[in-house]
Amino acid sequence: MFVSDCRREFYDLIVTQRVLLLVASDVDALCACKILQALFQCDHVQYTLVPVSGWQELETAFLEHKDQFKYFVLINCGANVDLLEILQPEEDTFFFVCDSHRPINVVNVYNDTQIKLLVKQDDDLDVPAYDDIFRDEEDEEEDSENESDGSEPSEKRRRFEEEVIERTMKRRQRREWEARRREILFDYEQYEYHGTSSAMVMFDLAWIMSKDLNDMLWWAIVGLTDQWVQDKITQMKYVTDIGILQRHVSRHNHRNEDEENSLSIDCMRIAFEYDLRLALYQHWSLYESLCNTSYTSASFKLWSVQGQKRLQEFLADMGLPLKQVKQKFNSMDMSLKENLREMIEESANKFGMKDLRVQTFSIHFGFKNKFSASDIVYATTSLMENVEKEGPETTNFIKALDSLSRGNLDKLHQGLDLAKKQLRAIQQTVASCICTNLVISQGPFLYCSLMEGTPDVKLFSKPVSLCLLSKYLLKSFVCSTKNKRCKLLPLVMAAPMDVEQGTVIMVGIPPETESSDKKNFFGRAFEKAAESTNSRTLHNHFEMSIIELKTEDRSKFLDALIALLS
Amino acid sequence: MSTNENANTPSARLNRFKNKGKDSTEMRRRRIEVNVELRKAKKDDQMLKRRNVSTLPDDATSPLQENRGNQVLAHWSVEEIVKGVNSNNTELQLQATQAARKLLSREKQPPIDNIIRAGLIPKFVLFLGRADCSPIQFESAWALTNIASGTSEQTRAVVDGGAIPAFISLLASPHTHISEQAVWALGNIAGDGSAYRDLVIKYGAIEPLLNLLAVPDLSSLASGYLRNVTWTLSNLCRNKNPAPPIEAIQQILPTLVRLLHHDDPEVLADTCWAISYLTDGSNDRIEVVVKTGLVPQLVRLLGCSELPIMTPSLRAIGNIVTGTDEQTQIVIDSGALSVFPSLLSHHKNNIQKEAAWTMSNITAGRQDQIQRVIDHGLVPYLIGILRKGDFKSQKEAVWAVTNYTSGGTIDQIVYLVQAGVLEPLLNLLSSKDSKTVLIILDAVSNIFLAAEKINETEKLCLMIEECGGLDRIEALQSHENEQVYNASSTIIEKYFSAEEEEDQNVVPNSTADSYTFQIQDNTPNSFNF
Repeated sequence: MFVSDCRREFYDLIVTQRVLLLVASDVDALCACKILQALFQCDHVQYTLVPVSGWQELETAFLEHKDQFKYFVLINCGANVDLLEILQPEEDTFFFVCDSHRPINVVNVYNDTQIKLLVKQDDDLDVPAYDDIFRDEEDEEEDSENESDGSEPSEKRRRFEEEVIERTMKRRQRREWEARRREILFDYEQYEYHGTSSAMVMFDLAWIMSKDLNDMLWWAIVGLTDQWVQDKITQMKYVTDIGILQRHVSRHNHRNEDEENSLSIDCMRIAFEYDLRLALYQHWSLYESLCNTSYTSASFKLWSVQGQKRLQEFLADMGLPLKQVKQKFNSMDMSLKENLREMIEESANKFGMKDLRVQTFSIHFGFKNKFSASDIVYATTSLMENVEKEGPETTNFIKALDSLSRGNLDKLHQGLDLAKKQLRAIQQTVASCICTNLVISQGPFLYCSLMEGTPDVKLFSKPVSLCLLSKYLLKSFVCSTKNKRCKLLPLVMAAPMDVEQGTVIMVGIPPETESSDKKNFFGRAFEKAAESTNSRTLHNHFEMSIIELKTEDRSKFLDALIALLS
Repeated sequence: MSTNENANTPSARLNRFKNKGKDSTEMRRRRIEVNVELRKAKKDDQMLKRRNVSTLPDDATSPLQENRGNQVLAHWSVEEIVKGVNSNNTELQLQATQAARKLLSREKQPPIDNIIRAGLIPKFVLFLGRADCSPIQFESAWALTNIASGTSEQTRAVVDGGAIPAFISLLASPHTHISEQAVWALGNIAGDGSAYRDLVIKYGAIEPLLNLLAVPDLSSLASGYLRNVTWTLSNLCRNKNPAPPIEAIQQILPTLVRLLHHDDPEVLADTCWAISYLTDGSNDRIEVVVKTGLVPQLVRLLGCSELPIMTPSLRAIGNIVTGTDEQTQIVIDSGALSVFPSLLSHHKNNIQKEAAWTMSNITAGRQDQIQRVIDHGLVPYLIGILRKGDFKSQKEAVWAVTNYTSGGTIDQIVYLVQAGVLEPLLNLLSSKDSKTVLIILDAVSNIFLAAEKINETEKLCLMIEECGGLDRIEALQSHENEQVYNASSTIIEKYFSAEEEEDQNVVPNSTADSYTFQIQDNTPNSFNF
């Protein structure tokens, strides 16, 4: 069921209990987790944090802890499956699910006792009405069903009116009702999408309890920005939520506005900005950032000679000396930086890039450190999906989580370095895929498969990195192709996952269009294709449109997918 | 759990035979309950929800029915019914009773409590005796049946109104539809639990009930009628704490045996359920059932491949083999084992689980009984379940293997290992369920004990290591459960502290002041794992 009063129906209940926090591996989840941890810390709540990267880990974690805990908080996982079915919990176990995955499983919505959804009830939830999908079994029907099941006879039986016509009528009605139910559920479950950021939901809770701090607000901002960077929500939703957060930002940060001098080293200030959409540019050179931001690189078509030429023309148009553009942003002439945003925007308009600026927030720690929200998202993602093994699986998670605390600047900087590597790798891979025509049209969708041995291929065995790559590739492909039909197709992308086990990771993303509703049908399609071909697949990711499968089964799986979607 | 029940659990058998203190059934039964409750809880949820949602008027479904039925009773309120029932006019009383019956047989929210509160039950009970007006007997019997079908409290209201003896008298009614209704009502009352079941028996229901079936050929009875009687009989056998009086069971059993040879599938299913209830008890209770000689027919039904019949007959067979070795032997001699290949590989997990549970109690038996299991080729099926059954079935199969290894001969254990039990068994050590892990470790120790006797310990060590079992056992040494920790370290210390062991065999053994070399002599006819 949906929790309407987060404080009374969630926080007050768990504050005196031992709580198990199960947190998915995405930045929004980490941010929500940070907010909740801060609340727990101030109320001395006993909790244990367990990172879970997929369904298998979630199940294992639950089994391992179910004897010690009765209260489970799930962050960015669990809403879109029937939790009671997969976890088989005891009756006195409670799940508080804060998850942006949609659609929410109907049993989770209508279970009043064990499942509590900490979810903002956005307009697009569209949960089917209770009576359309649940119905009390009629006893007579149940009897016959039970008997064919081989279950025990009932202890008591009521005698109903036994008119034959009535029974057949009832049965027909029932069949019709069931057909309708299937249709409703199909429509409801067909597309996967995302609702309000979990970090924002958690921030709301803190705010309602008057326990919100500026740090928490920043995490909420990063959570939302993660959704935007990962392309999980529509532009409309992003702008609306930015507006909501902006009100909190001005509430929290108004005092220092006129007194710049009062800033001390450990003081933090959040500011709304209409900033450049250039990845990490304040920690890079402007040139590198232009080259490795998907929006600019796709618009210029930087993989081609003409593209490179256009970039030079663009820089010349702005009147920025190449030497300045290529050195560290921090060291650029102050005079050049002053009107930089306006200058770049003006030139960008001439080059057909109308959306180079975007509403976002930045944070200052004292005088020296300034980060934009997307910087943090890139850095944290890279830390989380770092492929250089350093200790057990959870190390990356903990590191990423730590990098979100402002005391851990070294970790954040390490993350920024990794993020730059990642963005370069993505850009190079995109360029090589386009130049060697690796993106092929399969009819109903585009397909691109990375070969074992491609540079940086290991990076893309991780889900978030692979998704980012797919989105950048599709954007670039749409700019490069002349085929109008291809511009409207979704993309399926595969990368080697575990060479020893012979598995690939595959992701499907919706078409790249201006008005995209960001709804993804590949989750269901993958499921069906796997079923019909008996492919050995694993739907282990909380994102249903990511699947793992045996390399040998790939071609029959793809054939089925094509047939299904044609 | 009463001591009575405990005497039957496989663990109690193990206790008796092998002095091992494990309680297998406790956890098995518990899981089943949890599942059922979950489903029920979900459904209850839905119902609650439904009640919240539906503020529909009471007569949502009724107009259609009423029009087709008696036009006079468009829709009676409870007050009108009370008035009608209390009038002196038989026709009006009949109409009122019928109206009440209709309210009580509608699908949604029958107003049972309203009817009870209006004090109508004593009146209806009175009407049961109106032999002068059979329609009113029928209507009141139906109404009371439906009241008794409700909660325990609602059933109690019917019993307190004195309905049991009245219904028993009605069993002898010349109108079959009335006696059938009385059978049904008594079934509902007996189905409430042990107390009312015994009350129904005490009022003498059994004899007239059995008389209803005293015809030369059961097929001459209407099938619905026969089904109702069978169901009510099964409710008289149902429930424990306490189980029904033994005399009553002895009275019913001959009829059950007769019903077990009838050809209606629903009658057969309910009869098998009745037998499964009767065998779910102490050994002397099992004995009473087995003595009737029905086991061979039960085994025949076990192989009938109709799930509704198979399920309860498997349950009954499984119950019987929790009994003595002699009782188990009767099951074996009736040819039950030849059905088990299909049961152990059945597509329904529940059947697999029950079948494996049954096997675990047979392998807990005598060595010649274990041999029959081997001779019927059932070991590979058990291994198949270990390999890819659902977890509940796997757990039962683990029990079967452990019992086998603790009671089997060396030859039998060697065969088990040769059949490839080690890998799937050891794979299950990764289970989260520490109980299962402990049982597996037990099996491993048992197999090692056998290996020691034939000097094949090293070979066995190698086999365990090769299939990754050693890693798993080693990992268990950091298990949070202390028993698991102890059991796994004992095995590691005893058999896998490699250097020491080799040392003992090869390196000179310094005894007193002379050195003796111990060389292992591999006798030619030693068992090869």
